[in-house]
This record gives sequence, C-alpha cells and structure tokens, in this order.
Amino acid sequence: MATLTTPKIEARSVSKIYVSARTGDKVEALRGVSFSMKPGEFVSIVGPSGCGKSTLLSLIAGFATPSAGEVLFDGKPIDGPDPARGVMFQDYALFPWRTVRGNVEFGPMARGVDKTRRAAIVARNIEMVGLAGFEDRYPHELSGGMRQRCALARLLANEPDMWLMDEPLAAVDLQTRVILQDELLRLWGDAGDPAQRRAVLFVTHGIDEAVYLSDRVIVLGRRPGQVKEIVDIDLPRPRIGARTAPRAAALIDHIWNLIRAEAAQAIVEEP
Amino acid sequence: MRVMRPIARLAEFALALGILVILWHLLSVRVANATLLPSPLAVALAWVELLRTDLPADIAASLVHLGVGYGAGAALGLALAILCARSAVADAIVDPAMELLRPIGAIAWIPIAIVFFGIGRGVPMFLIFYASAFPIFVNTLAGVREVDRNLIAAARMLGASPRLVVTHVVLPAAMPLVLAGARLSLGVAWAAMVAAELTGADAGLGWRIFWYQEFFAMDKVMAVILTIGVFGYLLDLALRRLQAALTRWSADTRAEAA
Repeated sequence: MATLTTPKIEARSVSKIYVSARTGDKVEALRGVSFSMKPGEFVSIVGPSGCGKSTLLSLIAGFATPSAGEVLFDGKPIDGPDPARGVMFQDYALFPWRTVRGNVEFGPMARGVDKTRRAAIVARNIEMVGLAGFEDRYPHELSGGMRQRCALARLLANEPDMWLMDEPLAAVDLQTRVILQDELLRLWGDAGDPAQRRAVLFVTHGIDEAVYLSDRVIVLGRRPGQVKEIVDIDLPRPRIGARTAPRAAALIDHIWNLIRAEAAQAIVEEP
Repeated sequence: MRVMRPIARLAEFALALGILVILWHLLSVRVANATLLPSPLAVALAWVELLRTDLPADIAASLVHLGVGYGAGAALGLALAILCARSAVADAIVDPAMELLRPIGAIAWIPIAIVFFGIGRGVPMFLIFYASAFPIFVNTLAGVREVDRNLIAAARMLGASPRLVVTHVVLPAAMPLVLAGARLSLGVAWAAMVAAELTGADAGLGWRIFWYQEFFAMDKVMAVILTIGVFGYLLDLALRRLQAALTRWSADTRAEAA
C-alpha cells in the first residue's frame, strides 16, 4: 500500500493524442509530461489556451487514457474514474433535476452509504460551504457562486482523497472569486495541520490565483502541451489575508514571463 | 396578477367559444336542415340525452382501447429507444426499421388490421399501439443521446455504477423530451383511435359516430364529436400536468407549464 514516500500522483512521460472522429486529424494535446505530487500538496496547472491543462486533469480523473506513458495514483495505474479522486468541473456539472441536497447526496448514495449517515454527511457539507437554507433549491435557481459551492459540497461529501479542479472559479465574478479562493484554502486546511490536507490539482487560467493557492505551479507550454517549468511557491502558510506579498508578485511575474509569448500566440490562432 | 390571469384566460376562451356557437347557430338557421346541420341547441340537447344513455359505455370502451394500445405502444417506444441508445447493433437494426414504418401512419393499416383482427376491439387497440410507439421512440432516443457527457462523467466520478448512471442520470436528463414524446404519442393515438373505431370496431366513441350516421342523426353525431374533443383535451391536460410535476427542475418546462 501507499507509504509516506509514495507520491499521490506520478505522471511518467504522459502523451495524449486526440484523433478527430470526423476528419481523422490528429491533435497532440500533451507530450512527455512528467511530474509528481505529494500527499496533501496543492498543485496548480497554468498555461496558455491549448496547452492541454484540462486534458491532463481528465487523464488523472480517469475519464481518458494516455496515448503513451502512465499516470499512477498511490503507486497504482489509474483505471477509470474513482470516488477517491473527486472532480470539480468547469461548468460544475450539477444534476439539474436534483436539488442542492440531492446533488450533495449523490456520491454517498452511489457508494451505498445508508440513509441516516447520508443525511448527516449532506447537512454537514452543505453547512460547510455556506449553503444552509438553500437545500431545496434546484441548480437553475442558484447564482454562479452558489452553484460553485454546491459542486464543492458534492465533491467533499464523498470525502475523496484528492481534489481535481478544472477552472472551478472561471465562471464567477471577480469579487466572488476572491471570496471563494479563501474558502477553498480554509476547507483545504491552509492554516491547519499539513497532514490533514488533501492533495489538490487545480487547473486555472489565473496565474495570481495559482500562486496564491498553491505549493507548486506546473507551467505548461502549448501545441503540444509540455512542462515548461515547475515553480515552487515558497510563500508561508497560512496565506489567507496575505495576497499582496512582494514575493508573490515576483513569482507571478516569473510565471507570466514563461508563458507570455505563447499566450499572445494563442489569441491569434484561436478564433 | 396571479389571480387575474386565469380569469382573463377563461373569459377569452368563453368569448371565442361564444362567437363560434353564434356563427354555428346563424349558419344552421340559414341552411335550415336539421339533418345536414343541426343547431347548437339541438346538439346540446342530444348530448345531454346521450350522457344518460350511450355515451358512458362508449367513453369507457374508448378509454380501454386507449389504455391498452397507448400503454403498450409507449412502453415499446421507450424500451426500443433505450435499447438503441445502449447498443450499436440494436440501433443499426431498429432505428432504420422504425424510420421506415413511421411515415406509413397508423390509418393505412386499417384494412390489414380488420382482416387480421376482425371488426372489434382488436383494430383500435392495434392502431393506437402502432401510432403511439413512434413519437415517444424518436423523442426518447434524441433525449438519451443529448445527455450532457459531463453529467455522466460526474456521476461516474462520484462512484455510480453503469446501471445507476442509466437510472439516475440518463433517464432523468432525458425526461423532458420523453414526456414531450409521450404527449405527441397521445395526440396521434387519440386520432388513430377515432379512425379505427369509425371503421373497424364495435364499440367506442368513433364507432358511435358511425352508428348515428346510419340513422342520419347528425345532432348525435356532433354530440359524440364534441365529446371526443373534450376528452382529447382533458387527457392532454393531464399529461401536461404530469410533465410540469416531473420536470419542475427545468427552467424552460416551468415556463411552458405556466
């Protein structure tokens, strides 16, 4: 079994080539990506559009398989989706026919948790993300920020070992995003015991967000997606309330300089 | 506002109906032939009389035809659509067959159904069955195929088995289209029922039209026709209510149900 020295995630020379079903064209989304994550580590992936950030996340989630190389979770090859690796989707992917309660309950229900324990888990997680009082709302009756919280509660209710988050804060306004970043850090255990933290893989467009949240930032280049640099974020924790440290600004500049040219190129190439 | 709207609607409906009845009455005075065009009053009187005599049994017979035919047809359409969505082999066989049979229309089968079942209850049941199967098949298949793949991925990530994905994700996601298909099916089933009873049955509302036509009792024919309209409307209303209740979660069906 996994020991302290076993990485939570280990990607070994992972490549992914998509073949278009219609035209037969091949697109190389990732080439030779290698990295590893320690248990409890918060790692972000940044890069310009088309760098394969979301592809990498879906390989780790188990929604897709690598064309070459392998991804290990607790030392074992990933074989399909698993409740141990909870995913938060870019568009939240909440079940529209289920209320907030029904969405949060889905994971424990699917895993066969009995009804009384389920109710307690649901209540606790809804409370934790600040959605108490909105249990009976349907997703279409919620604001963007509330949907985001609901998706987070659904993920947490399954108590996954690892959180995979695909641009979860991209669709909310700036103020909401700042608030939710702090809440995410609080739920993860920014100020708490590092041994209690879950491993988080966080895909984002926001370099400042990645620096603020993460222990390390993986910078990907585009076409094909390759690791440009893995940047250690040597800012002290807890981070909540320390957004504007000079060191953070220097790290943001450094990462931005790594991807500036390609990000500009991406704007020209993508319609 | 909320109280006023249904009342205003009812008033509108009454007005439209009133104008129709007045025009009908004027026309019947002009034609002055109770066999060719009975007056609204004569039809109303005939209807009151029929309600006490023949109509209850006719309505019951028609509802039995509908219940058996529509129940079986809708169930088959639904089952075939799910089968097609789950298996490429089934899809390759069933879908083209359904697409070939669909444009034929139930009524074209009346002569064959009469030869096969004889004049009786079998003809309307078969025709309703045939007519009902297609709309719900087409709609369910579309609904199942359009399910957001992210929702399926989300369910699997949360630990759902393939069976649970079907029952708790695919079916509820497809439900608005399934129910819309069920309503379309009911509409064509009702029309097929009348046609089949009119020509190949010995009971039911359609058959009663045929019966009174033989006596040139057009007031009674009209009374039965009105009954068909009213019951068709009520059945659709019931399905619409069911649709609204089952798809409360969807922002667009909510607007439609209002």
